[in-house]
Amino acid sequence: MIKLIAGVGIASWLCLSPATVSAFASDRPLHKKGKVAITVTGTVKDAKGTPLPSVSVQVKDSPRGTYTDARGAFSIEVTDGESILVFSATGLATQELKVGTQTTLSITMQNRTGNLDEVVVVGYGKQRKGDVTSSIGSVKAEDFTKGFARDAGQLIQGKVAGVAVVTASGDPNSTTQISLRGNSTIFASTQPLVLIDGIPGALNTVAPEDIEAIDVLKDGSAAAIYGTRGTNGVVLITTRKKGSRPATVNYEGQVNIQTIARKMEFLDADGYRQGIKDGIFPASFDKGTSTDWLDVISRNPVSHTHNLSLQGGNAQTNYIASVNVRQWQGFFKRSENEQLLGRVDVNHSMLDNKLKFNLNIIGRNRTYFAAPNYAYIYRQAIIRNPTDSVYNAAGFYREDPNAYNYDNPLRPIMEVDGETVQNETRYSANVIYSPIKGLNAKLLLSTVKQTGLSGYAENNKHRASETLRRTGYASRGTDYMRDNLMEITADYTRSFNQHRVTLLGGYSWQSVTNEGFGANNSNFPTDLYSYNVLQSGDALLLQNGAVGMSSYKNNYRLIGFFARANYVFDDKYMVMLSLRNEGSTKFGENYKRGSFPGASIGWRINREDFMANATFINDLKLRAGVGVTGTTPTASYLSLISMVYSNNRFLYNGQWIQPIEPARNPNPDLRWEKKTEYNVGLDFAIWKNRISGSLDWYQRNTVDMLYDFPVPVPPNLNGFTTANAGEMKNTGFEVLLNAEVYRTRDFEVNANLTWSYNKNTLVSISSDPKFQLASQFLEAGYTGEPIQTATHRTLVGGPVGMFYGYRSIDVDENGGWIIEGEDGKPKPIKDAKVNDKKYLGNGIPKHTAGLNLNFRYKKLDLAIGMRGAFDYQILNFQRMYYENPSVKEYNMLKSAMDLVYGKKRLNSPLAYVSHYIEDGDHWKIDNVTLGYNVINGGAKYLKNLRVYVSTLNLVSITGYKGLDPEVTRLGLDPGNDSRDKYPTMRTFTLGLNMTF
Amino acid sequence: MKKQQFFTAIYMAMGVSLMLGSCTKLDEHVYDQVLETSFKPTEADLPSILGAAYVPLRTVMVGWQGDFDLQEEPADIIVTPVRPNGWYDGGTYQRMHKHEWRADEWQPINSWNQNFRGINTVNRIIAQIEGGSIPVTNGKDEVIAELKAARAFYYSMLVDNHGNVPIVTSFTDTVRPKQSTRLEVYTFIEKELTEALPKLSTKSDNSNYGRMNKWAAHATLARLYLNAEVYTGTAQWQKCIDQCNEIITKGPFVLEPAFKNNFTTTNNTSKELIFAVPFDEIFATQNSIHMKTLATAHRNVLDLAAQPWGGNCAVPQFIDTYDPDDTRMKDTWIQGPQRNVRTGELILTYTKAVPSIDNTQFFDGFRIGKYEIKAGARGGLSVDYPVFRLAGIMLMKAEALLRTGKPDEAAVLVTDVRKRAFLATPAKATVTGAQLQLGSSYKYGWQNVDGSIADLQGGADIPFGRMLDELGWEFAAEGQRRQQLIRFGVYSRKIWFNHRPKLDGKPRTLFPIPQVEIDKNPNLQQNSDYR
Repeated sequence: MIKLIAGVGIASWLCLSPATVSAFASDRPLHKKGKVAITVTGTVKDAKGTPLPSVSVQVKDSPRGTYTDARGAFSIEVTDGESILVFSATGLATQELKVGTQTTLSITMQNRTGNLDEVVVVGYGKQRKGDVTSSIGSVKAEDFTKGFARDAGQLIQGKVAGVAVVTASGDPNSTTQISLRGNSTIFASTQPLVLIDGIPGALNTVAPEDIEAIDVLKDGSAAAIYGTRGTNGVVLITTRKKGSRPATVNYEGQVNIQTIARKMEFLDADGYRQGIKDGIFPASFDKGTSTDWLDVISRNPVSHTHNLSLQGGNAQTNYIASVNVRQWQGFFKRSENEQLLGRVDVNHSMLDNKLKFNLNIIGRNRTYFAAPNYAYIYRQAIIRNPTDSVYNAAGFYREDPNAYNYDNPLRPIMEVDGETVQNETRYSANVIYSPIKGLNAKLLLSTVKQTGLSGYAENNKHRASETLRRTGYASRGTDYMRDNLMEITADYTRSFNQHRVTLLGGYSWQSVTNEGFGANNSNFPTDLYSYNVLQSGDALLLQNGAVGMSSYKNNYRLIGFFARANYVFDDKYMVMLSLRNEGSTKFGENYKRGSFPGASIGWRINREDFMANATFINDLKLRAGVGVTGTTPTASYLSLISMVYSNNRFLYNGQWIQPIEPARNPNPDLRWEKKTEYNVGLDFAIWKNRISGSLDWYQRNTVDMLYDFPVPVPPNLNGFTTANAGEMKNTGFEVLLNAEVYRTRDFEVNANLTWSYNKNTLVSISSDPKFQLASQFLEAGYTGEPIQTATHRTLVGGPVGMFYGYRSIDVDENGGWIIEGEDGKPKPIKDAKVNDKKYLGNGIPKHTAGLNLNFRYKKLDLAIGMRGAFDYQILNFQRMYYENPSVKEYNMLKSAMDLVYGKKRLNSPLAYVSHYIEDGDHWKIDNVTLGYNVINGGAKYLKNLRVYVSTLNLVSITGYKGLDPEVTRLGLDPGNDSRDKYPTMRTFTLGLNMTF
Repeated sequence: MKKQQFFTAIYMAMGVSLMLGSCTKLDEHVYDQVLETSFKPTEADLPSILGAAYVPLRTVMVGWQGDFDLQEEPADIIVTPVRPNGWYDGGTYQRMHKHEWRADEWQPINSWNQNFRGINTVNRIIAQIEGGSIPVTNGKDEVIAELKAARAFYYSMLVDNHGNVPIVTSFTDTVRPKQSTRLEVYTFIEKELTEALPKLSTKSDNSNYGRMNKWAAHATLARLYLNAEVYTGTAQWQKCIDQCNEIITKGPFVLEPAFKNNFTTTNNTSKELIFAVPFDEIFATQNSIHMKTLATAHRNVLDLAAQPWGGNCAVPQFIDTYDPDDTRMKDTWIQGPQRNVRTGELILTYTKAVPSIDNTQFFDGFRIGKYEIKAGARGGLSVDYPVFRLAGIMLMKAEALLRTGKPDEAAVLVTDVRKRAFLATPAKATVTGAQLQLGSSYKYGWQNVDGSIADLQGGADIPFGRMLDELGWEFAAEGQRRQQLIRFGVYSRKIWFNHRPKLDGKPRTLFPIPQVEIDKNPNLQQNSDYR
């Protein structure tokens, strides 16, 4: 049955089918904009032919929508044949249909196949999600954390099982820390390889607003194709691409305010004076005023972000261009970060789509003020006497002449000048030639150039100018990085009968060069020059050592060949094999090249005949994979025997000359760390795909682990040699669960749950016979002055991250620590021997979990992102240093007044004891976003308008007494909550999104 | 057709790959380092190469928590008490004072690391010279003799501090070395120096200042023999006298008319210095003895271009031993009111009293002023650190004479050294042989917070205690006191300041072998007092 109703001013181009103009509706209002309105009717049925009621029928990009009635019938008005109808219902696959010339539609809705047909980005290509045989976490734009995001990492915080994204600092210049499946390396970088549309970059290379999807290759079989760089996982960022629809303009704007999430409770002036009355401080310590020092150096920062993007074109040529502007303030006065980021992406295809071009240019310009050493300043603010004043009577900054490491905290913020500018330009081009169906040959060329220019000046009133008797100091530095990449790949896909085969081969060449220059000078005639007239400093003429300059240059290259084959039979059995052969210049002569194989298989169990009756199961796939990946050391040239002219000089015949010395203990056998990872996983979807998810078990064996291994002196010159002599094992389990809890036309609830468990074991630290150690442990972490001891000890056979120190169990009648001795008996801390130290906890969480809830009621939506970490400890440095009333020269925590073990105020020198090690278990309600879609399509100019409010780091539920239980979890000393840590912030964002 | 296109694409891809064939090379492009393979030294480079053998000496002697601290902190002249601005530092200064150091104590570890750094560097250079990679045509034997003498000097520090250390003479042999006994190390040093002596330079001028010439080698041997009884159980007093005589009779050294001349910014011109470690405020900045001792506010006395840390000071009991007319007292210790050098404004006043190691105020205790701190000085002094000076050789000889029954001959030497300290009261300079055989005037005993002495032991029972006092007055703050106390039997026996002897049969005259080194090299066994 065909029925078409059109408005008055019919455009001739619509009249493709004369029959459709046979009837005019008179019961419909005329379309005022002179456009044609067509009414489309139809019925919606399920696969068995049963009519489906309450199916949502929506005109895409328009506010118009309706629902099917009890008989599955609907009727809806559209503007023209180009309109697209979207049919959706709980448990059913959403369908889109272009109206075209039809006016009566018969729709058959399929059960949701989960997201099997979704495309997942894998190394050097894409894959149907249903064919994936490795563990890949995929997050699309609609599931990203809403509101303020510092970088790409924050978008997927708590959303991918086994991927821990930690916002370890509130510094506006810091990025998030991503770690994957525990610590599988301790010396090399733990940052994953981040590829932006296939080109190496960083989490903050593109604006979060400009990202379409983030895919994380978690297990070794998937990452093996990235060889030496794959061990920490691979984060593939796909930027927003072409849109083959009329030009649209999108604007997204945000403004946020931040407050400190939690303050450590130090004595205020009143509390301090009470301390004087109680005899804690001498009366002379009352300086007569009241100052909140943290307040003096901080502010409530206001930041804003604007993103404007323009896209358009047709199927042949299309483009997207965007500009992103950020102006972020930090918590501490003057700390700022401004960024301008622009991106243009143009696609063109010709010769019947046989030849495709893509050009992409990204420009990023970041300017920030980080001249003061805020960590040290923050420490000075919290330890400063709260009865002291910022200025003295003469209006100068007040300082104490006897103090050591006790400075007026405002002064170093105000008496410096500085700016760091970083520019990054990325050009990339790729050409794809597809001579026949299924065959693509691709050439990718990219060049990334990063330059930095920094200036720093201390005026002649600066504390250091006073201390070092100089009139000002200034420095400039510049650096330049080039990263050139060329990749040639060819892939071929063919399906025949029940077989589907994909082959991939390629070559990759990357060269990275870093160089830089810096100079500094002192004794300037004026502060007005700041760092802009370096040559005016007299130190240059006096040559009294207050001037300096430096430069450096280094290079490394990475060259790889790779191939991959995928085979799928009947959507039931899947096999993937890959191999990368890669060489890096960073390695020793005998170990330049290595091979990194990966293999995985998949079995879709629910397609087997014996499962035919289990209709509630929509998908059940078992996966297993193994892959080898590597990790390179961070610095170049470590394997070479090189010499340096040392500035540690030698007096020869009255002249101080530079002696030449070996730069390090050479190790020509230096090579990459290798990690072999086994992964077994199960993907499932049940009850019309309402519940889906994955379970993954993995084991990661790291061998040839890089570390600065302690070597005996003698015979070695230095006590450490960078070598491959360790082995480590990580075993873990991950769960991902997606649930469509409830869905009606007006109300929707979705949930996403992740949980992961990891167990880490240091297997060996002497797998290379050259580095046999008598001791079977590695020490790491450092308390700093004045406690001066290591905080962690990792024992072979045990997990990384064990705290190692004295176990405090009591205080004596004088308030001195009583610790548990080696024999388990109590003893005073002054009699403690090295052997009395014990393992006191571990800084790496055993369990991490994330829960994301999404609610929608009509136009209102609410997203809540929560995450937590459990079963781990934190060494609270702030308590260790400031909860001790015997240190009178500095301000202390209010809790320093408390009785320790309910007995006595502490009266014992600063010490690293278990009293300061706390459980870090926490549950964070992090991101809460409430949005309202004011306009959802339709209006003439403004197609969409959405407003939202959003928070970050809203509530932490924890027993931890420090600032934030989310502390760094990397390296051999995880869980150390530094006393100088930049406080984490609570962010409130107001945002607006408009599409024209 | 399709097939043809397919192959065209493959050929094209292969063609491009071949074009890029050169892009598979993995040779390193090195820009900012000197590779061993590209370093082709000539004789002109010899000073740069030799220099590396001497550089560790600076950190050995006065580096942060170096030998200066290692010799002074466990002894009875200098103490680092807790101050309002810190100086507890995990209890390390307390443990040093109380002889409770552990196998992970920094000071002995630093001594081990830095001395072996010197030894390994010498071994490397000798291997390079003998292997021909450093061409030395003229005077090769002399260069090697000098290097071996430098190595023996480093070992002379180790034999004193750690005793049972490995003897390593090869750079290419990288197996974990075996431990040697203290006697073996002693014998090795004696042999190496004796063999090197004939080939060492007799010159003592700018050309080999700060390096091992013949006189430095004699002095190292003299010191070795002086302590031979401690090191080996067998005294070698006559051998010590013989070595001293070589220097006194044949060397170009004379006592400086003023004590202070040995410790000025230009002390490299001192005619008394036999071997010194050169320092410079710009080029070699590790001499920060003043930074550790001066109160922070002292910056405003001398308009220093640095902010002192304010830690160690004199033990009041030692100050009390000085004769009031001995000018070395004011030449060694900064005391009393301190005024700004330009304005005369009173900045602070140092008092003698030091209440206890646990609790002192900023200005308690006299400060080390032996090394000239010029106005406007920076974080490192340009004063060279004297290791051997003629006065030291004379007193070594005097002590050996005294111990071999020649007190009167000894007294002549001691008197000669004392003369410049009593210019105003010359009669007081003279010391007799009988006096030298008396005990010490040091009031050994526990110092109470009020300065009174409890558990008074005194020093009368110390054999040749007066000689020990003489050594103290002349060499206070020259990093020698621990060795002296051990030789005179005071170290493990007497009470001073807040130190009590352990009297547990473990004299601790050797420091422990660093635990980190035992952990890395199973051939090493801990010294017996620490097992």
